[in-house]
Amino acid sequence: MSAPSKRKVPLLLGSGKSIALSRGGDKKVTLNLTSMIDMFTILLVFLLKSYSADGQIVTVSDQLVLPKARMEQRVELKLEIQVNNSVIVVDGDPVVSVTTDLLSSGNSIPELVVRLKDHLEYSRLTRGTLTEEDTKINIQGDVDIPAILLQRVMASCSEAGYATQNLAVIKTETLEEGDV
Amino acid sequence: MAKAASGRSRTGKHLPEIDLLPVMNLFCCIIPFLLFSATFLEVVVIEMAQTEGVSSAGAGATANLMRSEEDRLQPKIIMTQQEMFIGTVSGTVHVCYAQETVVDGETIITFPWDSLSTDITEVYELLNEVYPQIDFHKITILTVEEMRYQNIIRAIDIAGEAGFDQPGLQVAPSAAVSSAMRGGN
Repeated sequence: MSAPSKRKVPLLLGSGKSIALSRGGDKKVTLNLTSMIDMFTILLVFLLKSYSADGQIVTVSDQLVLPKARMEQRVELKLEIQVNNSVIVVDGDPVVSVTTDLLSSGNSIPELVVRLKDHLEYSRLTRGTLTEEDTKINIQGDVDIPAILLQRVMASCSEAGYATQNLAVIKTETLEEGDV
Repeated sequence: MAKAASGRSRTGKHLPEIDLLPVMNLFCCIIPFLLFSATFLEVVVIEMAQTEGVSSAGAGATANLMRSEEDRLQPKIIMTQQEMFIGTVSGTVHVCYAQETVVDGETIITFPWDSLSTDITEVYELLNEVYPQIDFHKITILTVEEMRYQNIIRAIDIAGEAGFDQPGLQVAPSAAVSSAMRGGN
């Protein structure tokens, strides 16, 4: 019976390493970076594609889901109205609660008109005059809101002096039947 | 050149490797920067045109208003909870029936949008053929009060693809919408 070999094999070497390599005890074990470079290149391309010099101008509330559309017009920083089935929020402040009375027929919502007029008056006082840009407003509506609520919000904006109303949507390349 | 006892030369076996460490360093700088600047959800806007309201008497009440030729000829996408139509000055065309879809346990109304896409494109081409002097952009979405916002946006989106990129919205009670359907535009 032969005695076991006393030759020391470095622990870090894998079982697949050749004996020729394992003999050289002074050799440096280098990390193979090629696969990592491949991964980083894919990541870089993906991030470059979604790079935006402007950043995210509009903050979408987590209380609402914006509809999707294939529009191209970029959003500008304007006064924001967020509408869902429970509340109407102007510039971050809840203004009107959505009740069944509000969803019945009607035009503008008085509380909302007052709030919007105040905002427009504030803009007029701070800048001295109002330009066309000051009379633009962005409306973020939840996908589930009924048309009457949207119409009443838009009518309120018109009455308060906001002539241009923009509906905020999430840009998408393709719309599928499942996007309901 | 000296050779090993085995007769195999070790020189020339190792190919020169590119030093990837500076590239890795560059990537480590660029990727966090791009990660912070990336926008994964792009918010865009649909600019709505001003439209006159629909009274309970129906669209006929606004027919005598002074309007431009494009305003007079602009089509309407009429959506009820049951069906969808396209209304023009020459009449109303049925597009499709509404469908019920269950989403998250809730039944919602939607439409077969391909039908609208086909029909509205035909209307746009027809209007441009008959009235080549007018550049058609305006369209009105006339809908009932209960219509889901997603359906309105979808109709606007499809109309925009066809060429009608200045949408307006009219919301009316079901009776007024039915009256508008009977009376055409």
